[in-house]
Amino acid sequence: MNRRRWVAVFGAFALTTVAITYVMGLWVTPPDVFQGNLVRLIYVHPAVAWVAYLAYGVTSLSSIAYLWKKTRNYKWDLLAASSTEVGVVFTALTLITGSIWGRPTWGVWWTWDARLTTTALLLVLYLGYLALRRVTEDREQRAKRGAVAALIAFIDVPIVHQSVVWWKTLHQSATVFNADLNPKIHGEMAWTLLLGFLSFTAVYLWMVIKRYEIAKAEMAAEEQGIEEAIRERVGSL
Amino acid sequence: MRTESELGGYQEDGSSTWKELPGGRPSRKKVKRSAVAAVFVVVAALVFILYKGLSSALVYFYTAQQAIADKAQLGTSTFRMEGVVVPGTVQPTASGVNFSVRFDHTVVPVVEIGAPPQLFQPSVPVVVVGHFSTATSDVFLSDQILVKHSANYVAAHPNRIKDAGGSN
Repeated sequence: MNRRRWVAVFGAFALTTVAITYVMGLWVTPPDVFQGNLVRLIYVHPAVAWVAYLAYGVTSLSSIAYLWKKTRNYKWDLLAASSTEVGVVFTALTLITGSIWGRPTWGVWWTWDARLTTTALLLVLYLGYLALRRVTEDREQRAKRGAVAALIAFIDVPIVHQSVVWWKTLHQSATVFNADLNPKIHGEMAWTLLLGFLSFTAVYLWMVIKRYEIAKAEMAAEEQGIEEAIRERVGSL
Repeated sequence: MRTESELGGYQEDGSSTWKELPGGRPSRKKVKRSAVAAVFVVVAALVFILYKGLSSALVYFYTAQQAIADKAQLGTSTFRMEGVVVPGTVQPTASGVNFSVRFDHTVVPVVEIGAPPQLFQPSVPVVVVGHFSTATSDVFLSDQILVKHSANYVAAHPNRIKDAGGSN
């Protein structure tokens, strides 16, 4: 099988695991003793939040790889930008799903506690990164500025994760990645939660691979476009 | 093949008379202008969020115990107070609900104006938004209850999984 076929098969696999997570989450798992059916959001919300962390982690590593002279290559810059775009989508999903859960559970769509505030900050920081990339047409300048901005924005990721520990928040503390790494959730609910993490991670990988391929094609088209413009004006070189 | 004269070129004085060719992409100037505008919007959003964070998120609530301890300083200003709803104190009223919250050994009576959220019940931790009724009174007048959720998840009917689709 060629590379394209592999990516398509992997995409189908990722979407199938998401479908299984939905069936497990909506029908197979039991309601919670306190939250009732509202608990079903836990199969989606922490998983998409984790993917956002993961995406920004990949952005940071790619940015370091670009900045480090030994590994400098525009491909790292394209990967960083691709991963950020997917990360922004998942950060927005985190805020939206959290808000939908917050309204019936807490009683409000939004509140300015430390977890929500730092997560909103995370979304805006990386939107800023994407906007900054468009300010200059110079490829090297764009890659350098972007890499530095991405590393600055990443400072917020551990702050988001620790916000529920460092400050008093309305948001609950971590169920899975808590201090003793002892998940406070059991049985089928725990398995479905794990499946949610795996399936959304697979979707992330698929989206990044696709986005990265598009970014590479765009760069190639841009180079070709420049050559054609020159040819059109001064004749073939 | 176009000739150079149609399209312009470099003049003797070094200036350029190259003409723009019609193309599908927006010009560089336009892209740059909208990108700079987007950066400004992002910076404005950052300032707004940092302001909200510094004014609200650093001290999101006082526990009922801290609220009583800092009462002289808090006076009748509005703040958020956290505590667990004391079982047996919940009394629905015409305008809302009366109950008490407890943190450690400190109990504070709360008069809530407005309907509590659906998960409000005895023994759950809540954050109430409001103020002490007078500078000397311990009664907390609230106009909003936020139900805090613990990080624990327990199946409602562990032995009746087939009922999963139903309510508990």
